[in-house]
Amino acid sequence: MAFATLLTDEQVKRTHEASLEILENVGLLVRNEKARSIFFKHGAKVDPESHIVKLPRAVTEKYIKMLQPTFTFRGRDPKFDKTIPKDSPVIVTGSSAPDIIDPLTGQERRARSDDIARIAHLINELPAYDMFSISTLADDAPPGQFTLARLYPATKYCVKPIRNTTKDMDDIQAIMKLLYAVAGGKEAYFERPFVTHHYCPVVSPLTMDQLSTEAIIYFSELGLPVYPTIVPNAGLTSPMSMAGTLAQGNAEFLAAAVLMQMVREGTQTIYASLPTVADMRSGAYASGGIECGMLHMAFAQLARFYNVPCGGYVGLTNSKINDAQMGYETGMSVVEGILGGMDMFNMGGLLDALKAFNFAKAVIDDEIAQMLKRVKRGIAFSEEELAVDVIAKVKPGGSFLMEPHTVKRMKNEALLTKLADRDARPIWEKKGSLDIEAHAKLKVDEILSHNTQSLLSDEQEARVRAEFKDLIPGMLEILQPQ
Amino acid sequence: MSEELRKKMAQSIIDGDVDTAVALAKESIATGMEPMDAISNGFVAGVNEVGDAFGRGEMFLPELVMAGEAMKAAVATLDPELRKRGTERRKLGKVVIATVEGDIHEIGKTLVTIMMSSSGFEVFDLGVDCPAEKIIGKALEINADIIAMSALLTTTMIRQKEVIDELEKEGLRGKFKVMVGGAPITRDWVKYIGADGYSEDAVGAVVVAKQLVGAVD
Ligand code: B12
Repeated sequence: MAFATLLTDEQVKRTHEASLEILENVGLLVRNEKARSIFFKHGAKVDPESHIVKLPRAVTEKYIKMLQPTFTFRGRDPKFDKTIPKDSPVIVTGSSAPDIIDPLTGQERRARSDDIARIAHLINELPAYDMFSISTLADDAPPGQFTLARLYPATKYCVKPIRNTTKDMDDIQAIMKLLYAVAGGKEAYFERPFVTHHYCPVVSPLTMDQLSTEAIIYFSELGLPVYPTIVPNAGLTSPMSMAGTLAQGNAEFLAAAVLMQMVREGTQTIYASLPTVADMRSGAYASGGIECGMLHMAFAQLARFYNVPCGGYVGLTNSKINDAQMGYETGMSVVEGILGGMDMFNMGGLLDALKAFNFAKAVIDDEIAQMLKRVKRGIAFSEEELAVDVIAKVKPGGSFLMEPHTVKRMKNEALLTKLADRDARPIWEKKGSLDIEAHAKLKVDEILSHNTQSLLSDEQEARVRAEFKDLIPGMLEILQPQ
Repeated sequence: MSEELRKKMAQSIIDGDVDTAVALAKESIATGMEPMDAISNGFVAGVNEVGDAFGRGEMFLPELVMAGEAMKAAVATLDPELRKRGTERRKLGKVVIATVEGDIHEIGKTLVTIMMSSSGFEVFDLGVDCPAEKIIGKALEINADIIAMSALLTTTMIRQKEVIDELEKEGLRGKFKVMVGGAPITRDWVKYIGADGYSEDAVGAVVVAKQLVGAVD
């Protein structure tokens, strides 16, 4: 499939040049000391007072050459392993929302670990999702279990690749113990690291944060899968122009990517971003804006220029409910993304600019994601597909209904959507006049009432419990009206 | 004549034109216009228009800020005259603002800072990832009226409470009004930690801050 582009080749090159200039002349404020010393050791100029790190052109270019063309996500069950760009698009849930729309009351509330158990099962079952990035936080997490209370229910109910983030180094030590316990030891885990770690180490404009930079270095050193997301917000944390936002965002990606190569040559990474243009009428975070997808298309061009897989947060909405705004904001930006050549879509389940998870939205996004995969499959083309002979046989005024050519393709040529309503109005009325959210909720209920057993074996569970005596239950229970 | 001058004053605020606002303020002094008249019937009319246009989504954030800057400059120019008459406009107050420790989200806090300072508060922005001691220390140092704290993470919200508890412990709670904000902050939380003010956005933050220092628009 040939990708749609918004920049010419010259513009891509000029953007790249502009980014090199930014890295060489403006530099980045690097708050993390370890990162500063790594940059310094590998040829960057580091100002000991201001902590500004400048990357001479030759240094940046040297490490760009080491960027890897692929990134692999592993699941606990190998059949879910995915390597991009070969297996693109990889569909992922949006993550870390503090709130959830309670499926019973419809009210927004803080999310808990038992919500994560239900969501993990849902994502494990929904066909289009390739990776579960833990959708919400767990407000009920006891002290010391901030991320455990998210990752444990996730591993319990989902064997697809999991994406996870952490708070600090103690948090990392805790989750590594959990992962080793599940895998049956450190070695076993390293053979099949089923968690991909993720951080936002760059605070636009051009600042590298303490803890998330530390985490990126830590996992790169270990050779465990990790990647950064770059989050410029035009008008506030990057120039108001999309071109300027690309130049700065690209410089920020290169800084993070170069650091990872300096830590360990050949480390796989993803050119991931969450680019937005701020709504300057209020400063609002416009993640549902059409520009998010446009910027992704351009970042995808830059990623191809460096031959590195790309993607990021897309299909986000500012809507609070599953209404038409939610549908068009989600749908339009992901279509931009798929046509523009994004490999990874962090897109599922969140409303209100990443602030709240909604079960029905996750199911609707699964159908949208299937559509994206259908687009990516493209139009099969051959003499047989052209079907000139079939057209000649049917003749003007005939029907294709019973043709073997039709029967052979009728189940695959079009995506057979399960949620979108295609009934005639009277039939639709007879079936209860359901809208898309009602259809999606039925699907949620169906999935949550089937095969909800834990996917950890008794031995795995015992090892985990031996490691953490007072771990949260993390059980999947069906919420019952009181 | 003076009606026309007042109209121009309002327009200079709408245009966010500092130089013209200052020039008009000087002109009003030269022509003997009462400074309170220039402010209340001239410049403030512009501020009100800007506020309304912003509410309608027709005026943009940077324009709002520029209007605030023009207003500040005009008032500063008229200040000596006001003082002569003993009608000095009360300064709105001093604010110490920061994003709390462990949290690096800057955008919302910066918007609040900009809006407050362009509305006439003297704002000391301590940046992000700011520990309680630093916030309280600065507030004491400059004798602040308001301590304002932003938190964007459910894990760092608790720092807002810690600052309030610390003030309480040190017997300083009565000295400062405390305002909090950030995406995960709810009214229940504000009540629970005993903060004095909260707003879901930067424009509202100014309204609340004015109420807290007893200034009326
Ligand atoms: C942009 C962003 C970032 C940027 C920040 C860039 C910057 N320079 O600030 C980057 C990429 C660096 C970032 C990093 C992280 N982020 Co972040 N981020 C966001 C995002 C998408 C938007 C925030 C924003 O700028 N909004 C726009 C401004 C204008 O709105 P606002 O901040 O809410 O402010 C307004 C009001 O709240 C109010 N207000 C704000 N402060 C105050 C103060 C007072 C006194 C008053 C009265 C009012 C007030 O007025 C403001 C103006 O109207 C939010 C999602 C969201 N929709 O909120 C996630 C979000 C907050 N981040 C999240 C996460 C998880 C992270 C990371 C942990 C990710 C990681 N693993 O690395 C790190 C945090 C690191 C740390 N220690 O802080 C989660 C929060 C989870 C949680 N624990 O609660 C969110 C909800 C997204 C998500 N679902 O993942 N993030």
